[in-house]
Amino acid sequence: MEEFQEGLQNSKNFFRGDSKKSQRTVPCQYFAPQKIEEALEILSRYGKEIKIIAGGTDLLIQYYDRLYEINGWLDLKNLKELKIIEINKKHMTIGAMVTHAQLEKSAEIKKYFPVLSKAAADIGSPQIRNRGTIGGNIVNASPAGDLLSPLMAYDAQFKLLSLQKEALISAEEFFIGPKKTILEPAQLLTRIILPLPSKRTYGSWIKIGKRKALIIATIALALVVEMAEDNKTVKDVRTCLGSVAPTPIEIKEIRKKMVGKNFKQLDFNQLGQIVEDKIFPIDDIRGTREYRKDVAKEIMINALEEIGLAWRSYK
Amino acid sequence: MNKLTIELTINNKKRKVETTTSTRLLDLIRDDLRLTGTKEGCGKGECGACTVIMNGELVASCLILAPQAGGAVITTIEGVGDDKCLDPVQEAFIETGAVQCGFCTPGMILAAKKLLEENPHPTKEEIKRGISGNLCRCTGYQKIFDAIKLAANRLSTRDGEGGEENA
Repeated sequence: MEEFQEGLQNSKNFFRGDSKKSQRTVPCQYFAPQKIEEALEILSRYGKEIKIIAGGTDLLIQYYDRLYEINGWLDLKNLKELKIIEINKKHMTIGAMVTHAQLEKSAEIKKYFPVLSKAAADIGSPQIRNRGTIGGNIVNASPAGDLLSPLMAYDAQFKLLSLQKEALISAEEFFIGPKKTILEPAQLLTRIILPLPSKRTYGSWIKIGKRKALIIATIALALVVEMAEDNKTVKDVRTCLGSVAPTPIEIKEIRKKMVGKNFKQLDFNQLGQIVEDKIFPIDDIRGTREYRKDVAKEIMINALEEIGLAWRSYK
Repeated sequence: MNKLTIELTINNKKRKVETTTSTRLLDLIRDDLRLTGTKEGCGKGECGACTVIMNGELVASCLILAPQAGGAVITTIEGVGDDKCLDPVQEAFIETGAVQCGFCTPGMILAAKKLLEENPHPTKEEIKRGISGNLCRCTGYQKIFDAIKLAANRLSTRDGEGGEENA
């Protein structure tokens, strides 16, 4: 606590507007810095003692009846540079504070990353989508996080910053268990970087839950298929699922079966069966292991059919 | 728990409030500002009874930390319409019988207002999606859909007749 107060003395300039008056008299433990460097400094000083808050739509539920347990808050709301979606010839960069509503409404995300756009539109409710952020969804690392399997399917990389270093980590390396990631206490997820897919890339997003709004997925599939120049042969495919394992996962066997093959000659039923066989979900209140396995096969077939339809109409 | 002072604009009034780092915006609105039109249902973002409009966006005030609302512009149900003249959405709710127990109504009206602001002629599906974050356990929703349709019609004819004062 002492150290905390001392830190507060030293970091007066981190308070802007929000709490000017209380700085001197009361030790306030809420920081809302204007610059990333300031945020990193606070993190390096307090590390685990401080909670990073973005939209708060997961955090305030987790700490519903024990908000008082949190010693300090680092609110990212003033970090304007984290609220931007940028695009260049090769990549799209999404700031960690971009909300689900922003993702859903962005014409560029709809164009290049339709699976991500649809997944964002399926999250919670308008109230949740207006506050919840892509960065929060990633760092929260729920096995059912709706954006996670689409991000994995689009080969996303996460930029992690700390005062000492900058790291670029793939979605696959980032998640290590339910609500567990490799993020260190002094690190901040600042940006999500997605390589722009080629023109002949098709995608499908299927989320299964007991209702449409405000539901945590029983199972979700993000399927992205890239066709070769001839627009017949499958060049690459990413089959990523949520709510079937401790982390979002890719079914790599599908790649072996599809890459290099003519899309027309694919056996959808067999591919669906592979997805069913390669997942090891658990029984929980949202569904049984058996149900999830059955549904996995069906949604894989449906997703392939949807992609087939888009592919045929493009030709 | 530590105290701090925040400033925010609520229903067009600037307020300075002392709050804490473990207070939710909902508690600040209800307990400190005494604006009890905003309700607490589930406290977990699922029911929408605590809905307010913050910086132009529909939000669940139970999922926002009070300090996060520092500097924000907020509209609660008390800021919709006035003593002399109700908002067209409020009138439509009364006329169609969309208010029964009334607990969801403040949040429902704010969600409906926001929907009509963004989409003046919503289809039934769009209405459903617009209020998907608000639960009602009395009406079965039909009367709420009717109310929003009625308000949409009135607002569009009013705007069409050149009633731009509220546009």
